[in-house]
Amino acid sequence: MKKIAVLIRRPPLNTILNAEALRVSVGMTLRDDRVSVIFIGDGVWSASANLDPAKIGRRDSKKEFDVLKMLKCRLIADRASFESRGAGEPVPGVELVARSEVIRTLNESDIVIPF
Amino acid sequence: MKLGILLTTSPENENTHTAIELAKAARAMGHEVSVFLMEDGVYNVRDKNFAALSEAGVKIALCALNTEDRGVEKVDCALFGSQYDHASIAHDSDRFISFG
Amino acid sequence: MQNHAECGDTMAVAEIDLKGEVCPYTFVKTKLKLEELEIGDELVALYDHAPAVENVPRSLRNEGHKILGIKEIGDHLWQVRIQKV
Repeated sequence: MKKIAVLIRRPPLNTILNAEALRVSVGMTLRDDRVSVIFIGDGVWSASANLDPAKIGRRDSKKEFDVLKMLKCRLIADRASFESRGAGEPVPGVELVARSEVIRTLNESDIVIPF
Repeated sequence: MKLGILLTTSPENENTHTAIELAKAARAMGHEVSVFLMEDGVYNVRDKNFAALSEAGVKIALCALNTEDRGVEKVDCALFGSQYDHASIAHDSDRFISFG
Repeated sequence: MQNHAECGDTMAVAEIDLKGEVCPYTFVKTKLKLEELEIGDELVALYDHAPAVENVPRSLRNEGHKILGIKEIGDHLWQVRIQKV
C-alpha cells in the first residue's frame, strides 16, 4: 500500500483545479492506496466551511468530501494558513494541523501530487 | 523501473516538452513509462511530438471525462480511460512525477 | 435483491442505478456495492455516462470480476451485468 498525498495550494474560485484535485483524491483510492489531502496557502479556502461556490454558479465539492471521509482518507489543513486568512471553520472532517505535521505527512508520502 | 507521469497542462506549456524528453530518455534506458493526461493536459494527444511517444513504447492514458468537457476526439495513441487508470499508474510505478 | 429462480441456488441479483454519475463515482459506487455482495452474486448496474460503459467493466475485470453482459437499453443508457468473483 502506497501513501499518496494530494496537495491543494491555490485559491479555489478562479480555477476548477481544486475541485478536480479532490476528484483525483477520490480516484487515487481505487487501488487501495492510502490517500491524504493537504490544504495549504490559499488552498485552505477549499477546506473552509464558509466557501459556497454555488453562489457564483460553480460546483461545490460536498460529494468529494463525503466520499473521502467515508473512505477514511486523512484531510488536513495547515493551521497557520487557515488562521492567517481568517478562513473561519473548516469543513467537517478536515483537521487543522501544525505546519510541522504537514511537512511530516509530505515527507512520509511515496507520491505527492501538487495542484 | 516503472516511471509514471501526470501531465495537467496544455501543449503550450513547457511541461509538455519536459515530459516528452523525460519519457524518451527513460525509454532509451529501457524503463517502462506511463503518462496520464488530465485537465488541459488532454490536449497533448493532438500534439504531434507528444503523440509520437506511443510509437516509442510510452503508454498514454487520459481522463475521458476531461476530454468530453473539452470536445477532444478519440485518437489511437491513447487509452481514453478513467481515474482507475490514473490510480493504477500511481500504484504500479516506482517513481511518479507530476507536471502541473 | 432477488434470488435467481432459474439458478435454484443462493446466487442473488442486486441492482444499482448510477444514472447521473461520472468518473470516478461510477466505479467507486459499483465497487462499494460489490463489496456488500457474496462471491458469485450478480450486480446489474445502470450507467448513462458513455465513458463509464467502457471503463468500468475494464477496471472491474482488472479487479478479477466477471462481466456477464453489456447492453444499451435506451438513449444513452446502458445496463452492465457483473458477477462478483
